[in-house]
Amino acid sequence: MSTCCRYGVDETSTLLNAVMTAAKPSLKSLLARHEVVLLIVIALEILLFQSLGRRFLDGTNVSNIFRHSVEIGLLALAMTPVILTGGIDLSVGSMMGLCAVCFGIFVNEAAMSPLLAALLAVGIGTLGGGLNALLIARFQLPPLIVTLGTFSLFRGLAEALTKGSKSYSGFPDSFLALGNSDIAGVPAQIWIFLLVALGIWLLVHRMTIGRSFRAIGYSPEGARYAGIPVRRNLGLAYILAGAIAGLAAVILVARLGEARANAGIGYELLAITAVVLGGTSIFGGSGSVGGTLLGYLAVAVLNNGLSRITAYQLFDQPISSVARELSGMLTGLLLLLALAVTPLAKALAARRTKT
Amino acid sequence: MKRILCTLALCTVPFLSACKKSGESAGGEEKLTIALLPKSKGNQYFVTCEKGARVAAAELGAELLFDGPTNSDPAKQNEIVENWISLGVDVIAAAAENKDGLSTALRKARAEGIEVITYDADAQTDARSFFVNQATAKGIGDALMDNAASLTGAEGEFAILTANLTAANQNEWIEVIKARQAEKYPNMKLVDIKPCDDQKDKAQQETTNLLSAYPNLKAVVAVCSPAVPGAAEAVKQAGKTGAVKVIGLGLPSENKAYVKEGVTQAVILWKVEDLGYLTIKAAAALAKGELKAGAAEFDAGKLGKLAVEGDNILLGTPFTFNKENIDQFDF
Repeated sequence: MSTCCRYGVDETSTLLNAVMTAAKPSLKSLLARHEVVLLIVIALEILLFQSLGRRFLDGTNVSNIFRHSVEIGLLALAMTPVILTGGIDLSVGSMMGLCAVCFGIFVNEAAMSPLLAALLAVGIGTLGGGLNALLIARFQLPPLIVTLGTFSLFRGLAEALTKGSKSYSGFPDSFLALGNSDIAGVPAQIWIFLLVALGIWLLVHRMTIGRSFRAIGYSPEGARYAGIPVRRNLGLAYILAGAIAGLAAVILVARLGEARANAGIGYELLAITAVVLGGTSIFGGSGSVGGTLLGYLAVAVLNNGLSRITAYQLFDQPISSVARELSGMLTGLLLLLALAVTPLAKALAARRTKT
Repeated sequence: MKRILCTLALCTVPFLSACKKSGESAGGEEKLTIALLPKSKGNQYFVTCEKGARVAAAELGAELLFDGPTNSDPAKQNEIVENWISLGVDVIAAAAENKDGLSTALRKARAEGIEVITYDADAQTDARSFFVNQATAKGIGDALMDNAASLTGAEGEFAILTANLTAANQNEWIEVIKARQAEKYPNMKLVDIKPCDDQKDKAQQETTNLLSAYPNLKAVVAVCSPAVPGAAEAVKQAGKTGAVKVIGLGLPSENKAYVKEGVTQAVILWKVEDLGYLTIKAAAALAKGELKAGAAEFDAGKLGKLAVEGDNILLGTPFTFNKENIDQFDF
């Protein structure tokens, strides 16, 4: 796949075929390796935390690992198609804040049922994603700048609506159950997460639209010459991201029992981390939903596990007390390592072919 | 195919591990585990609280877990509490950043049989047994008025700087100040109340206006913390250092320079370290069943016997920081 950099107009469709089919074996083996590496990392984490931590594999804690990170998991799923197209969406965390506040207003001040309010909140997320889509796909503006703008815009709107301080609570128990109860022994929101994961997986790996994401990320020009509706499909990735951010906001509010303007603050970066850790190229064109799930899991287990280590000290404090700082550091290291693996492997392979 | 397998493997993790029983991980030792949740971890105020808490935990031979959010993510406090629930701590002492949100998690803890106490900032009353109240409105108002009176010889004009005219806390304190003045200091006169929007600059500007409008002004009483250094700066720039006394409610660290220069005479606040100490003492007593609803007083070790009003454990009268003692405090 590295050899086909220059191509004529009439060659593009064959090229795209190459991207999607012929180039697959080499790509696939690379991805498979990446996923295997991640699985090993996760297994090591589990072993480490089970031996050093307190009640790490306890049922409640395992539920907590997922319950506390499911919003970031959802955002990571939403971010995967976007990054596959070579784009980025920095606005999803702010979108969560806006959707959370709107949800609170709908329930508390407009006396709507939580279900209707949740649908409307997802609708607002979709609209916000639509704005990103319009600017990026229609007007061809750079995704980084567009979503940096909407990142501030959405958070600002959320803060304006609450005057920075107001928060909404007093939601019915039936709604809070979405964030705090179990269905068949698994946190209720995890079922939603699994559904979304399945949906995104089908979209990306089993549907033409989803496959076109990678084609667009690999070469937008090429994709257009191949007859792919680039603008429509690109826009779809951002609209979907907005809608999922809305859903994540509703789930977060159900877990906390409170809707505030600063909901989801910083989550977009954690989601991007999970996606890139999962092996999706930040330049677009290659990656998988399975990788994203593993990347997300690696980060979620790390975050939770460190906070279980109470018996060992670091900087004169139990590790559990510096867990957040430590997990930030380790996540960063993990990410840098994940990024270094591919060039390293390439360099090694190059050396091997020389000798 | 591999991807499907990976995804499947991922899905089985919750099921597999849910099967494992927690078993004997908590057994063996009888050491009490107390978890202390600050509003935010880096805040010097709560770091000082933790210092006092450590002293109490050492006295009790209890294990103290101290953890809190490092940013403004409203989900963090809940996550920390839920982590503690599954860690199986004995008692949680929390300062609520988001009252309603945190209450959801604290109620969960209580449902799991974990004792819950709040300090500094209360949660909803059904989410905890007791609130360690660092200062009542009466205590704060009286301390401010008494200090103003003793500094001015109990006569002359004084003005109040507040956050804004609708701030509930501040208005409560101002009412106490007025009542105290009417009752004990008839020769003093409250001439004006000015809002500063919780901003130092605005407080400085308002104080400058007050100084020119009331040339006989003897004291400025600031009831919100940014107003104390703000008022001091204005008095200093007007060349009225010492002639117009500045007192207020605030952190010693923010006012240290002015206090040493003699611009600000008194800063009122509770001893934050004692708040942490008392919180842990009360939390431990609650977990051991020594502190029960309806108690009238609580034996807080080195702090002596403290009053309990309803479900509020009172830290007592606020402390006055002045030139002589302010160097001993670093919050």
